[in-house]
Amino acid sequence: MTSLSQRDALTPGRPARRVMRRATAGGLPGAGGAGLAFRLEGAGLGYGRDAVLRDVELDVAPGEVMVVVGASGSGKSTLLRALAGLLPSREGRILAGGEQVTGPSADRAMVFQDDGLLPWRSVRRNVELPLSIRGVPRRERERAAEEWIERVGLADAADRLPRELSGGMRQRVQLARALVGVPRAVLMDEPFGALDAQTRADMQRLLLDVLRDTSATVVFVTHDVDEALLLADRVAVLGRTGVRAVLETPDGEKGTDAAARANLRERILEEL
Amino acid sequence: MAGAPTTRRPPASGVPEDAAPGTAEDAALGTAEDAGDAEDAGPGARRGAATGGTAGRRGAAVRWGTRAASLLAAAGLWQALTAADARLWLRFDRLPTLGEIAERFAGQLTTPVYYLDLVQSLIRILTGFTLAAVAGVTVGVLIARSRRAGDVLLPLLEAVRPIPAIALVPIAILLFPADEQGIVFITFTAAFFPVMVSTRHAVRALPTLWEDAVRTLGGSRRHVLWNVVLPGTLPGVFGGLSVGMGVAWICVISAEMISGEFGVGYRTWHAYTVVDYPGVIVGMVTIGVLGWLTSAVIELIGRRVTRWLPRAEGSRR
Repeated sequence: MTSLSQRDALTPGRPARRVMRRATAGGLPGAGGAGLAFRLEGAGLGYGRDAVLRDVELDVAPGEVMVVVGASGSGKSTLLRALAGLLPSREGRILAGGEQVTGPSADRAMVFQDDGLLPWRSVRRNVELPLSIRGVPRRERERAAEEWIERVGLADAADRLPRELSGGMRQRVQLARALVGVPRAVLMDEPFGALDAQTRADMQRLLLDVLRDTSATVVFVTHDVDEALLLADRVAVLGRTGVRAVLETPDGEKGTDAAARANLRERILEEL
Repeated sequence: MAGAPTTRRPPASGVPEDAAPGTAEDAALGTAEDAGDAEDAGPGARRGAATGGTAGRRGAAVRWGTRAASLLAAAGLWQALTAADARLWLRFDRLPTLGEIAERFAGQLTTPVYYLDLVQSLIRILTGFTLAAVAGVTVGVLIARSRRAGDVLLPLLEAVRPIPAIALVPIAILLFPADEQGIVFITFTAAFFPVMVSTRHAVRALPTLWEDAVRTLGGSRRHVLWNVVLPGTLPGVFGGLSVGMGVAWICVISAEMISGEFGVGYRTWHAYTVVDYPGVIVGMVTIGVLGWLTSAVIELIGRRVTRWLPRAEGSRR
């Protein structure tokens, strides 16, 4: 969100995410700050009596894009909900920025797979939601929402209701809503899982584009290995016994190191 | 899409209409109309849409004609039976003819008492109903969202709920210093339970996803209440309000008949006791019209505030 003109200068492909730029965020009060580090120490997660994950050990560095891949039912979403503070850990510890996670916080915005928007609020009012929760004055709130709605390419649809939008458009709104509050981390739960291939590619490009201007840590859950390779700084592979491996993706522009990528892809599939 | 079957009906309009008070004529009317709507959703409508143009318009004219004819036939039958003083086990000889009713109605419309009764009944029902709406939504949300509130209130509410509100008339007479408050109390009790129960169910049925979304954006319990629970339950709440308005009318009229000194219900019963049978019918029709008007207002507001619901295109109801 540094400035709109910068967008035009962006080249497609994977940005060098480790060269971090501080988000200025239009000077929203109480917002921003460096990306949040996460640490799971022997975390056991589950619902009711059933353990979904045991002994999870994972470190997420501030500002990185960590993609968690795993088969359906491997507990990817459970892990993400725990990081969001929606699900308390039953064993071990979950730390965000060095502090134990005890509940949800505006610092850790979440993007859901689908239907995370409030259906009675227009696009504009959905995007304003985190700011109005925080008590940001109306005019400032409207300006920030406007900017983000434009940023995700929905300027013409700002007054529509979610039911009047396509799946891809709804995810654009969710992205804008998550980022407008300048969170220190964005947790994304298969956000493009329900989209068709073309829309999904568009959304991935948009995501890479907007993440460029933030310093937020991103934890992105998917079952799609190619999506993981495209977006990730590092990929965590989740199996039934917890995190099986954390693999670093090769640096540099997409396609420049095709062999390394193919190699990594093989390794991820092996771990799965 | 025109005329396609309405597969997803919003809860706000999915209210049993038979909860509204009405005369036998109203009931007959309702069935006729429902039959017409069933036809709309059927292959007939699709055929109409396909051929389109004049054929479709002629089809609509025929259907409206059928509806009008059905009403007129019922009225004609009434007139024939009462004018002939028919005694076919059912004693139509005691009932007034259409002419007598119309004459009485015209007479009533010029008397101030008619309007006083009408206003009196409306004040009673609106007071009782408004209190019931506020209390019903509050209690419904409270017991659905707080386990402790549920433990304290639910047994009590479930114990009282099976008692029809009208059975509380003796208590109301003993409890309140004036009949007026007793009638409002009965109306309140009648409307409270449908509103409370449907609010409670609507809160429980809310997708947790919306609450999760608000919480991960930094929202507290209060934010969840205002931004998710209240707007999200509106469709269910309005279903309850619609039913509540229906039973509120039943109870206000009954209570007026038992213990009122004014009001449409009192006047209707009074007309019966003084052998003014056309006056009885006038009262019935008045009650029917008032019931229909108040339900329509609820329905209209309900539709306005739940515009975000997914609806089938071109659905009429």
